[in-house]
Amino acid sequence: MEQWRFIDFGLVDIRDMMAMDEAILKGDGDNTFFFWTPKKSIILGFFQKAEVELDLSKCKDYTITRRISGGGIAFSDDRCRQINYGVVGTIDNDLFPLDIIESYKQVCGVLIDTLVHYGLNAAFRPINDVTVDNKKISGNAQTRWEGKLLQNGTLLLDFDIEEMLRIANIPKEKFLDKKIASIREGLTWLDRELGEQRDMEEVRNVMKKKFEERFHVRLKTGTLSSNEKELTKNFLPKYYSPEWVYR
Amino acid sequence: MEILKTKPGIHKARGGLIRSFVFVENGILKDITISGDFFLFPEEAIFKILENLKGTPVKREELLKNIEDTYAKEKIQSPGTAPSDFTESIMKALEA
Repeated sequence: MEQWRFIDFGLVDIRDMMAMDEAILKGDGDNTFFFWTPKKSIILGFFQKAEVELDLSKCKDYTITRRISGGGIAFSDDRCRQINYGVVGTIDNDLFPLDIIESYKQVCGVLIDTLVHYGLNAAFRPINDVTVDNKKISGNAQTRWEGKLLQNGTLLLDFDIEEMLRIANIPKEKFLDKKIASIREGLTWLDRELGEQRDMEEVRNVMKKKFEERFHVRLKTGTLSSNEKELTKNFLPKYYSPEWVYR
Repeated sequence: MEILKTKPGIHKARGGLIRSFVFVENGILKDITISGDFFLFPEEAIFKILENLKGTPVKREELLKNIEDTYAKEKIQSPGTAPSDFTESIMKALEA
C-alpha cells in the first residue's frame, strides 16, 4: 500500500504554521496530511481586509495573519479545541479531482466520515463547508499551485461564538440566505453535538484512520524536508509583515 | 481610499460575501477596494480585476463586460461567484 507523509505540528504560532503550509505546497515533498493546533489567533482569507472584517480595537491580544487561499476568517479562541488540518496532494482526477468543488468534496469526505463515526448526520455543503444537521461544523479553504492542491480546514470541538461575534464585523447578508436569524443558529461543534467532551487526540486518530480509508494509503509520520525548511524560512517574513496582513 | 469612511456595497454570492468600496468621480470609477470570503483562482488575479475596473463608467453593463474580459484573459475560476456578483456588489456600493 502506498505511503503518504503525516505530520502533527502540535500547538503553533499561526504565522509559522502558514509559512510551513505554503512550503509544503510549493516544496519538494510528496502528498501530505498534517495537523496543527493554533494559539489564540485570526487567519484572514486572501481576499479579506482586516479593517473591514474585524473590529481591530478588540483584537489586540490575537495574533493575526493572512493565508494564501480565499474564504473567510479562521478564528481560534484560547480554548484551543479545534482540529486544524492541511492536505497537500497532486491533482490527478482520481484522489484529488481537477474540478474545484469535487476536490473539496473529496477531502471534506474525511471530516464527514469522522463525524458519521460519532453517529452524527454530517454532510458536504458546497462550496466548502461540512455541516451537521445543516449547521456548519467545519470550514475549509483550498488553493492550487503547479498541479498540486492545498486544502486547510478546521473541525470545531468547542467554539466561543460570542467572542467571535464580539470581534468580527459580520453583516446580516452573510447568513440571511441560509434562512437563519443569526450566525448563532448556523454553527455547531462536536462537544455540543455529542453532549460530552472527546479527547482531541482520539478524534484526530479517527480522522487519520478515515483519511487512510478514503485515500487507500497508509500515513507514515515524517518531518519537513530540508527544501521545505528553506522555503519556510523564505516565507516567514511575509506572514509576520503588516504589508501582507493589513494590506 | 479611506475605506472605513466609505459605505460598502454588500452582496452575497453563493460562493461568499463581497463587500465593495468605491470612489467615483464624474461617473467614472476612480478607485475600488474589495473585501470578501469568496474563492478565486488564481488568487492574484483579483488585483487585475480591480486595476482594470479603474476608469470604467459606472454602468452595470460596462462594469460586467470589464470584469468578464479580465476573467477570460486571466483564466479565472471562482466557484459560486460570477462576474455578475462583483458587478452587483459594486452597484450596491454606488447606491450606498
